[in-house]
Amino acid sequence: MDFSFTEEQDMLRILARDFLAKECPKAKVREMAKDERGYDPQMWHNMAELGWMGLIFPEEYGGIGVSFMDLVILMEEMGRNILPGPFFSTIAICALPLLEYGSSEQKTKFLPQIAKGEAIWAFALAESSGRYKASEVKLRAVLEGTNYVLQGYKLFVTDAHVADYILVVGRTGESERPEDGITLFMVDAREPNVKMEAIPTIGGDRQFKVSFDRVAVPKDNILGKIGSGWDIADFILQRAAVLKCAEMSGACQAVLDMTNSYAKERIQFDRPIGSFQAVQHKLADMLIDMEAVQYLLYQAAWGISVGSPLPWQISAAKAKANEAYQRICIEAIAAHGAIGYTMDHDIGLYYRRVKAAEFAAGDTDLHREVIAIGLGL
Amino acid sequence: MDFRLGEKELALKEEIRKFAEAELPPDLARNTLIDGEYRDFEFEISMSRKLAQRGWLVMSWPEEYGGRGASLREQTVYEMEIAYWDIPGAWMGISGTQWVGPCLMMFGTEEQREKYLPLIASGEKDGIWCTGYSEPNAGSDFANLQTRAVRDGDDYIINGQKVWTSAAHRARWCWLAVRTDPNVAKKHQGISIFIVDMKSPGVTVNPILNYYGRHHFNEVFFDNVRVPVSNLVGEENKGWYYLMQSLAFERRSLAPTIYGGFKRVLEELVKYAGQTEHEGQPLSQNPVIRAKLADLAIDLEVLKMFAFQIAWRISQGQIPVYESSRNKIMSDEVMKRVAITGAELLGIYSQVDPDSEWAKLNGTIQGAYLGFPGQAIAAGTAEIEKSIIAQFRLGLPKSY
Repeated sequence: MDFSFTEEQDMLRILARDFLAKECPKAKVREMAKDERGYDPQMWHNMAELGWMGLIFPEEYGGIGVSFMDLVILMEEMGRNILPGPFFSTIAICALPLLEYGSSEQKTKFLPQIAKGEAIWAFALAESSGRYKASEVKLRAVLEGTNYVLQGYKLFVTDAHVADYILVVGRTGESERPEDGITLFMVDAREPNVKMEAIPTIGGDRQFKVSFDRVAVPKDNILGKIGSGWDIADFILQRAAVLKCAEMSGACQAVLDMTNSYAKERIQFDRPIGSFQAVQHKLADMLIDMEAVQYLLYQAAWGISVGSPLPWQISAAKAKANEAYQRICIEAIAAHGAIGYTMDHDIGLYYRRVKAAEFAAGDTDLHREVIAIGLGL
Repeated sequence: MDFRLGEKELALKEEIRKFAEAELPPDLARNTLIDGEYRDFEFEISMSRKLAQRGWLVMSWPEEYGGRGASLREQTVYEMEIAYWDIPGAWMGISGTQWVGPCLMMFGTEEQREKYLPLIASGEKDGIWCTGYSEPNAGSDFANLQTRAVRDGDDYIINGQKVWTSAAHRARWCWLAVRTDPNVAKKHQGISIFIVDMKSPGVTVNPILNYYGRHHFNEVFFDNVRVPVSNLVGEENKGWYYLMQSLAFERRSLAPTIYGGFKRVLEELVKYAGQTEHEGQPLSQNPVIRAKLADLAIDLEVLKMFAFQIAWRISQGQIPVYESSRNKIMSDEVMKRVAITGAELLGIYSQVDPDSEWAKLNGTIQGAYLGFPGQAIAAGTAEIEKSIIAQFRLGLPKSY
């Protein structure tokens, strides 16, 4: 067992923290929540220059070729700062399966664009129930000539409005096992028959209903094998769960730091409120929650880094993060008192994003069920 | 980062499994959870001897003291497995192996090491210790201890009372905290540690029964007990420092043992859920039960990571401060949650006496349920541990 990061990983963390502190202060986060695009193209460009988009791509696709753990470190820092924009949907969700399952033509075409910051991707899986289950995939894809024609709609598609491509999970066949007959399509988001309708959310991010009305997708734009798409969806959800967990871990750290500082500054009864045990014990509980998330996250991420991910370890991390992030935010607001309930205070920015994070890549119930199966239940 | 166990640890796990299967009766009741010790003392000590023969009892000690210099990671795995299989006799009282021995290595005289360490390492009755810390007026406020030791020629004379002294009725020796200087500015000054022979004239051990009538802890009276100067550990009046070190050792070893023991309990519950039908389907198919058991698995996984993280910190030459407290709190939480959820699964049977033939799962759940509130107090309450985290990790003012 070794809990240490490499020197390069420590440097990446410091670099990311400094960059985001400078380029993405909370004023920027607030501005982007009102911005139509929801992200700053200049910052996006600068991130690409730093090599963040292609962090784990091999050099031949314009990447740097470091490990999944490095991406986790980067995303912890993004979560700490609440970086707005399509990094998560483009890199954490869509780029990883492209790298793993894409044909060499597909990789050569798409990955360098992503690495340069020239292409944004979104992922469309959930439908009316909002659940990430194979049985919920109803969007039909029917072969007509050399194209598949997509008909149906997807909900909660994050960053669809700025996406160049949408990775769509569609149904190409019916069988007893709902996992069979699912196929992933890379759809040009600017096709006229792709229609979007915003779903306003409390987190200030950008989510959409995306409708596909007889959208033709050439066979070349199928990712992986026809009918075996659920394996890829699983691959995506596992990695996205860990990377979302990384964002949440960073956010938990930020919220704890903020609350701890406040407890030292805020004077009541002639002393800092942090001198009262009621407040101290709240903070101690927050710390334990935060470290629980961190270590479960690192264990799960390490499993992916070395190529042997354990589904139940990933689920343990995400289920814990779902609970801990929410609890830490609620306790933090309580420790701040009324100031924590105001628009001007940063704590609300984190609390408002709890639900988006919780339901990304699987809610707590879904992950508990993975663990239950892992236990042999 | 690397979260694999090494080949050594994997081999050790396997050896301990075989040992447990060969040496333990198949129906060994897990009564340690509520009794705090095994009722059959002769069996317990026979197991201590076998653990010693295997080279496991003090594996992390250096060879010169009967150990084999095992890494803390290996020691952590050992503690997890000992607890998982509920193998008796591993701690040599409270606790020769976990803190008396290691503290003597750090602070004892050469003479003390040569005399006491081999006794502990042997697994014999003369190597069993109790730890004299708490007093009627020194619980969480431990530095308030009043038991006095006064120098008299080549001896000290000890007077006073200890309480909640686990295993005092078994122990040959007491690792005793006393006040040697009452005229000090701060009460944690003027404290010293002595080694006291429990057979000394003037030592009286009275049992205290826990709320379920079981005997594990005691009150111990010291009435003009003479102890030679050579039994003073380290320097006079520096005892607080040694005490803090001993508590760090104690709190470190809690997480691996609670993890191992309660991982086993969770596995038993999973089996029970699969075998027990309710309304025509096994409990294991009930989504609420599945979710609850999954939550326990998450908590256990957190405890496992905390246990290895602290071992790793120490192996880096760092002294964990708040981590011991964090692990103590998490250990307590795991015990409580497993006990309460386990009782929910057992339903109405959760009230059956653990020794009764009516008891499910060998009375394990009732043992855990009855045992956890007491275990949570031992070695520092959650409130004290949280205050320590606030002070030493979060940099908040001392609040106690």
